[in-house]
Amino acid sequence: MKGLNQRAVALQLMVFVSQWGLMIVGFGILALLVAPLRIQFDPSLGRYFDAAVKAMIALVLSISWLFIWDRQVRLYFYRKREEAAKPV
Amino acid sequence: MLPSGWDVTTAVLLAIVAFPVSLVLTRFFMRVNARSGIVGIDVHKVSKPLIPEMCGVSIPFTLILLSAVYVLIGGGNSLMMLAFSLVVGSAAVVGALDDRLKMRGIYKPLLTLLCGLPIVALGLLYPNQVYNPTLQVPIFGVFHLPVIYPLAIPVAISVTSNTTNMLDPLNGTMAGGVSIVSAALLIGVLITNPAPSSVFLYSGLLFAALGFFYFNRYPSRAFAGNVGQLSVGAALGALAILSRTEIASIVAMFPNIQNSFFFLSKIKRFTEHRALTAKPTKLLDDGRLASSSDPKAPLTLVRTLLVGQPAKESEIVSTIFGLYLISAALALITMILMG
Repeated sequence: MKGLNQRAVALQLMVFVSQWGLMIVGFGILALLVAPLRIQFDPSLGRYFDAAVKAMIALVLSISWLFIWDRQVRLYFYRKREEAAKPV
Repeated sequence: MLPSGWDVTTAVLLAIVAFPVSLVLTRFFMRVNARSGIVGIDVHKVSKPLIPEMCGVSIPFTLILLSAVYVLIGGGNSLMMLAFSLVVGSAAVVGALDDRLKMRGIYKPLLTLLCGLPIVALGLLYPNQVYNPTLQVPIFGVFHLPVIYPLAIPVAISVTSNTTNMLDPLNGTMAGGVSIVSAALLIGVLITNPAPSSVFLYSGLLFAALGFFYFNRYPSRAFAGNVGQLSVGAALGALAILSRTEIASIVAMFPNIQNSFFFLSKIKRFTEHRALTAKPTKLLDDGRLASSSDPKAPLTLVRTLLVGQPAKESEIVSTIFGLYLISAALALITMILMG
C-alpha cells in the first residue's frame, strides 16, 4: 500500500495480536471457571442473580482487558511524550 | 429444494447487485444534497472544499431494498431479513436526525440502544429463529446465555454503530474499513457455516460499502454523514448477532474499539468531535496532518498513528486500512478456531 506507516503498523500488529490472545484467554476463564458456577440463593430469582454475578465477572475481565490495551498503546506510542511532559 | 451450494451462489450473485445500486444512489444523493445545501467542509484539506453530506444514506437504502428482493424471490430467512432491515433502518433514522438537528453527544448512544430492540422483540416472539443465545467462543466451546444475551443485544448495536461513527475522520476510512471487515467475515462464514442468508447479508454489506467507497475514497466527493455511519455500524452489529459471528466481529473491529476506547477514556464523556475544544490532529501548511501537542486532546487512532511523524491524509488512510487487514486476518483465524 502506498505510503503505509510500517513502524505504526508493526507496533499495532503487536498490540492487536496480544489483545487477541488475551481475549481468547479471557473467554477461556469464562468458559472453564465462571460459566460452571452455580450461585442460587433464592430459587425464584436465582437464575437472574446467577446471570448478574457472571455478567459482573465478565465486565471486570473486559475492563482489565481494556486497561492492558491502554497501557500497551501508551507504552509503544506515547512513552516519550509522557516522559517529556513530567515535571522535573 | 435447491442444493445449498446453489442457494449460496444465488445469494452472492444478488448481493453483487448492491454495488451498482449503491453507486447510482450515492451519485443521486450527491447531486440532490449539493443542490439542497447539505454539504460539509473537508477540514483536512488546505483548500477546505465543500463536499455533499449524508450521501451514505445510499448504503441502508441498498441493503433494505435488496433484503426485500431476496425475501420476495424466496431466497432467505424472512425473519432474519426483517430484523436486519429494521435495525439498519432505525439506525439510519437516528443518524439522519443527528445530521439535521446536531444532537448532543449523549443522545446517539441512547437512541441507538433502541435500534437493537427489533432483534430482541422478534427473538422473543420466534425463539431460536432470529438469534441463538448460545455464544460460540474460540477453542473453549459454547456458553448458554438465556438471560444476558437478549439484554446485551441493544448494547451491542449501540456500540457497533457508535464506534463505526467515531472512526470516519478521514476520507474513505469508514467505507473502506467496513468493506475489509465484511469481506473477512464473509470469507469466514463461507468457510465455516455458509448459511445463505448470512452470506447474502455480508456480501450485500460488502458491495454496498464498496459502491459508496468509490465516491468516498481519498479525495472524497461524498461524505457518509451520521446516517451512513450509524446504519453501517448497526448492520455490522446486527449481522454479528444474526449470523453468530459475535466474537469474530469484535476482533475485526479492533481498530474501531481502540479508537473509541481511547477517545472516551481521555474525554470521559459522550461528545461530538465538533464540540471538542482540543482537536486530536492539526493541519500543517503543507497539507500534512500532525498529532496535536495539546495534552487535553483525545488519543484517537489517527493521532496515535501521527505521533512524532506528520503524514499526508492518504498515507494515514492506507495505514488504517493496513490495521483493518490485520484485525480482519485475526477475525478469520478466530472463526476457523470456532469451527
